[in-house]
Amino acid sequence: MKRFLKWTLAVVVVLAAVGFVAFLYFIPPLTQMAPEEFIQQAGAMPPAATNISDPAERAIAERGRYLVLTADCGGCHTTQGAQGPEPAYYLAGGMTFATNTHGTVVSRNLTPDPETGTGSKSPDDVKRVLRSGVFPDGRGAPPLAMPWPGTSNWSDEDLHAVVTYLRSLKPIHHAIPAPKAGRGDAIVPGAAEVAYSLDAGKK
Amino acid sequence: MPPVSPGLRWTALCVIACAAMGGAIAVFAQPSSTAPLTDIKGLYDASCASCHGVDGRGSGPASVALAPAPRDFTRGIYKFRSTASGSLPADEDLYRAIARGLPGTSMLAWKGILTDAQIRGLAAYVKQFSPRFATETPTQLTASQPIPPTPESLDKGKAAYESLACGACHGDAGTGEGAITSSLQDDWGHQIHAATLTEPWTFRGGGTATDIYRRLRTGINGTPMPAFADTAKDQDLWHVANYIASLGRKPVWKMDAAQVKALYEQRDQAAAANPVARGRVLSETLGCAHCHSPVDAQDRVLPGMKFAGGLKMRLVVWGDFVTANLTSDNETGLGRASDDDLTRAITHGIKRDGSRMLPFPMGWPGYAHLTPADLNAVIAFLRTIPPVKNQIPPPARPAFFAYLSAKFQMLIGGTDFPIVVFAGNAGSAGADAPGAARPAQQ
Repeated sequence: MKRFLKWTLAVVVVLAAVGFVAFLYFIPPLTQMAPEEFIQQAGAMPPAATNISDPAERAIAERGRYLVLTADCGGCHTTQGAQGPEPAYYLAGGMTFATNTHGTVVSRNLTPDPETGTGSKSPDDVKRVLRSGVFPDGRGAPPLAMPWPGTSNWSDEDLHAVVTYLRSLKPIHHAIPAPKAGRGDAIVPGAAEVAYSLDAGKK
Repeated sequence: MPPVSPGLRWTALCVIACAAMGGAIAVFAQPSSTAPLTDIKGLYDASCASCHGVDGRGSGPASVALAPAPRDFTRGIYKFRSTASGSLPADEDLYRAIARGLPGTSMLAWKGILTDAQIRGLAAYVKQFSPRFATETPTQLTASQPIPPTPESLDKGKAAYESLACGACHGDAGTGEGAITSSLQDDWGHQIHAATLTEPWTFRGGGTATDIYRRLRTGINGTPMPAFADTAKDQDLWHVANYIASLGRKPVWKMDAAQVKALYEQRDQAAAANPVARGRVLSETLGCAHCHSPVDAQDRVLPGMKFAGGLKMRLVVWGDFVTANLTSDNETGLGRASDDDLTRAITHGIKRDGSRMLPFPMGWPGYAHLTPADLNAVIAFLRTIPPVKNQIPPPARPAFFAYLSAKFQMLIGGTDFPIVVFAGNAGSAGADAPGAARPAQQ
């Protein structure tokens, strides 16, 4: 009887271990949604610029919305939660990038929050980052993590549209830590950059 | 140490603390104004080299996507000067370009970020990249008195604009329409385009009649824009400058709603008429080459490999992915992909073999929202990329135990999956291929 119990226990333990490994192996690493669902989710996150009353400015902001959506700014600038991007924190920043060239940087909060976002910056300050990769204090943005050499090809009028749209967003308080010098603690040998999606900001 | 009273000690501590804080504030509040000018190379390397390169050749890590390309200082050829055609620029021209920036380009106005002394230091520093400055002196041109922009002057200006054949490059209406814009190159072989004369806020040297008059006289060195100082009547140049200044339209930020709508419609029509040009701009702003080109450890695209794919990314749970070769090579690139194949890949993340892409780093859920015209423009542009042979390996799943451990971390630790981007080319491009000297690590 004792022997039988022992064996049963052993089988149960082995089965549990195998089951756990199988569970780990087979749970999808990503919620497997149909492409249409991802597309719908991406399109639903950027709000329409309906809070702008001036019709000319609203039309410009809508153009900016198109540019921000299709250039996938939200891919790196939307705060990530346990289930992927958090729509309530659209463009509020927080992803970490350990770069080879510019230390460890965190994607900025692009909403016009005066304390933690772009609210206290001038439109020209924001345009300068997109066009020239230079922050207001003269610091450079890393060209691999932040693809500013790409956005530099937006015309002045499109840059204006992008900034107009960003200004129309609801301010979200989300403090982003300052960049750190050095390559970051976990950079992999041979890597140019390591991107972490976990939120490094403070809500 | 002699005994001191607690009061004195506190006072001393306060003084030291205040001095330390004051020093810290002085250092942190205005690092630029206190930086010694002796370290102008350090300033250049930190502020200028990401575009112009540490060696001044204009090929810094960010340069590959920039249009116009950053200046190569080594040849001493400068576009925006107050000096005669072919001549070196005056010191004041260099100062002006750095301090005020070049509108419409990535060259920003550094005034306000750097001190005047630093800007002058940089102007002197860039000169030493070219031996020309040691042996030649700039030939300054002097300007005549401006002619006021009367209707008569504008008429004369229009006539001179035609007789000087400005429209050949700038278009008859100054918009570039009907001109030879797409085939223009500078002395470095970069494709360039003539200025759109209806958008004076993009004029690199300024949009006033005086600025335009100066440009007409000096020309733009290193480009097909000639100097008219010796070949046209001085008065006519003032008339042309007045005429060009009169072509300027309102920028979008000064338009009313109807004008904004009309502008965007006109844009869409122009894009539909020239999808390759529109697609080129879109491919740059969407940053296709950003991931679809291999880079070295300084984030520089390997020479000749733009759009050739081969950048390896490790998504810790999902495995190793190498970016696709977007050039039109038949075997290794998109040469045999149909428009439908490309549409499915760009907008739905479905590859030609039917397998699916993750929704990142390839942002197809966002690209799916491109208008049909813009999507067609991107595809039309991709078709024009000359073939580069670079066989891209298929995705590789992570090793069994690495996979399990990453999954376990995912289970207990939330969503923190690093995406690792490796420098180098993970594609097949052999020893004779450009950039192949730096093999992919790992």
